[in-house]
Amino acid sequence: MSAVAATARRPWVRIVLAAVVAIVLLVAPLALPAFANQTLVRIGVYAVAVLGLNIVMGYTGQVNLGQIFFVGLGAYVTAYGVNHGWNILLVFAAACAVAGVVGLLVALAAARLGGLAIAMVTIALPIVGVPLAKRLSEFTGGSQGISARFTDAPDWSGLDNDQWQFYIVLAVAAAAFLLARSLVRGKYGRAFAAVRENEAVAASMGISPYRTKVLAFTIASIFGGASGFLYLAAVQYTSPETLSFGHSISLVAAMVIGGAGSIAGSLLGGAYYVFVPQLTNAIDPNLTTISQGAILLAVLFLLPGGLVSIPRVVRRLARRTGAAGGRSAARSTAAHSTAAGSPAAPAADTSQQTAPAHRPVPDSALEGHEQTERQDGP
Amino acid sequence: MGTFIQLVVDGLATGSIYAALALAIVLVNQATGLINFAQGGMAVVSAYIAYVFVELGLPLILAIILAIVLSFLFGALVERFLIRRFERGDPDTAVVVTIGLLTLVTGICAVLWGYNNLGFPSLFPLTSVEILGAVVSVRSLATAVTIVVIMVVLQLLFLRTKLGLALRAVADNPASAAFSGLPVGRLLMVGWGLAATLGAIAGVLVAPQLTLTPGMLDTALVYALAAVILGGLTSPIGCVVAASAIGVLENLVAVYIPLIGHDLKIAVPFALIFVILIVRPQGLFGRKVVVRV
Repeated sequence: MSAVAATARRPWVRIVLAAVVAIVLLVAPLALPAFANQTLVRIGVYAVAVLGLNIVMGYTGQVNLGQIFFVGLGAYVTAYGVNHGWNILLVFAAACAVAGVVGLLVALAAARLGGLAIAMVTIALPIVGVPLAKRLSEFTGGSQGISARFTDAPDWSGLDNDQWQFYIVLAVAAAAFLLARSLVRGKYGRAFAAVRENEAVAASMGISPYRTKVLAFTIASIFGGASGFLYLAAVQYTSPETLSFGHSISLVAAMVIGGAGSIAGSLLGGAYYVFVPQLTNAIDPNLTTISQGAILLAVLFLLPGGLVSIPRVVRRLARRTGAAGGRSAARSTAAHSTAAGSPAAPAADTSQQTAPAHRPVPDSALEGHEQTERQDGP
Repeated sequence: MGTFIQLVVDGLATGSIYAALALAIVLVNQATGLINFAQGGMAVVSAYIAYVFVELGLPLILAIILAIVLSFLFGALVERFLIRRFERGDPDTAVVVTIGLLTLVTGICAVLWGYNNLGFPSLFPLTSVEILGAVVSVRSLATAVTIVVIMVVLQLLFLRTKLGLALRAVADNPASAAFSGLPVGRLLMVGWGLAATLGAIAGVLVAPQLTLTPGMLDTALVYALAAVILGGLTSPIGCVVAASAIGVLENLVAVYIPLIGHDLKIAVPFALIFVILIVRPQGLFGRKVVVRV
């Protein structure tokens, strides 16, 4: 088990893996049926939105309940630009910029309060956004919504529309994921983590919590705007329904279920956002909301790291059963041993996870040495 | 002038509903440092419970009292079996838990009772009286009075009883409270129970007006949160004042500024928040919190 993990960490293996994934992604749409392509396209759309949410919520620890507002904003700007014959690159830039500027303005006010104020202010965004979208009907088409077609495949490409859309979404989403990855691993990523862990400590290290929060929120909004552009590329239509409150909550759920503070988790979150409602709607539309709440709570209880942490949990369980076989007598003393790696914990696994590992794991009582529970206040 | 007074009085009546939810939010926040985004959803459940008892043929007042008692238990159980696990951890996780709870209870209501609007009988007569040239419905008046009475009772509970003292001690510093021998866990359950009770009262008061739907209090919750931000998380009276002010202001703006009108009036409190946050980051009545590293 650990040999596989060690091999996977070698640089050349990673490069080969990345190349394989890239080739598969490039070839897949040519082979897959249209419906599968459309589903993948929608996963890409929401993965970008979840990725933005992850930057502000997962990495910086600021609860944002209004991400869908920026997706809707990006979609409306895109529709407006396309219908007015703007260059498509300009449309994309405008979708990101408008969402970013609005996000910046919201954050400038919300981040002043600190704590949960961002959550309380952002919950208003979709709730104000829906009547606003209905009211500004000359831009948004009112309740009927607005449609814009710009992603029909050009003749020279010889592709179908769904394949062409796939490549557009793939290009933007891949760029977004690479950008986000280098962002959270660099200087700003460390600032985000410092603010998430303890604002007072971050401030004492010379990191302004206020500026960091505003920055994270603005970046998240820009990603939201980009996701809105992709949404219109995929669906070619948007209406006030797009930015409803329920969808905003679903995005938060998708982020947590995929894995907060994880780039790969954002992709899983996008997949969850698209697949689970499809599934529950097929069974009974009434069950959609209840299943969403139940799944979210179940994940928080059983898998606090989200779906992305499943391999780690499996590895830990495997280790525990393996250790229990040979050393059941020594087990009780091992569990009480000090924080230094006990014989039951191989060195490879003490790395834990880089992101929000600090949430108490339900079964952590059994593993005292791995528990890094946080203490609040003095 | 008659219209103006009418609008103010109506605004105070709706404001008192927001105040009840806001008080519940402040109560939970004081006890645990969390914002319970499921407060509105839990209140809707209470209203549905009362509805079921009425359908079973119980007198309305008895149904409401039963629903309130059950809500207290529901709130306490939610704290014990759901929130307790996340209380000491990351506050953001705990907030996401309450969002999950909101989704879950909304979903449960939808499965059990559907999305159709259900009529809920009013506790108060639907007649109206004339005050200063404004027609005031007895229902609005009674609603406002009820909320004021509850606020006074809460204030007395917190400042004049041993239970109130203990709740405040736990809120202020759970560790010290535990060292002094206070049953912190049980007190947290009581805090959540009381908050759920407040929510239940808001639910049954507003249900006749809005008719019962699973998302009935979503908008009211947003207003309540706005009131909490404006009033400051640490001040129950500040919240009630802010909630009333929001109720009155949104009514006036909806009528006197046609540009905003009825559909956009929910933006009013948030526009206000933006202005106020720039000037007074701790809220109108809130204290500035100093953090030690």
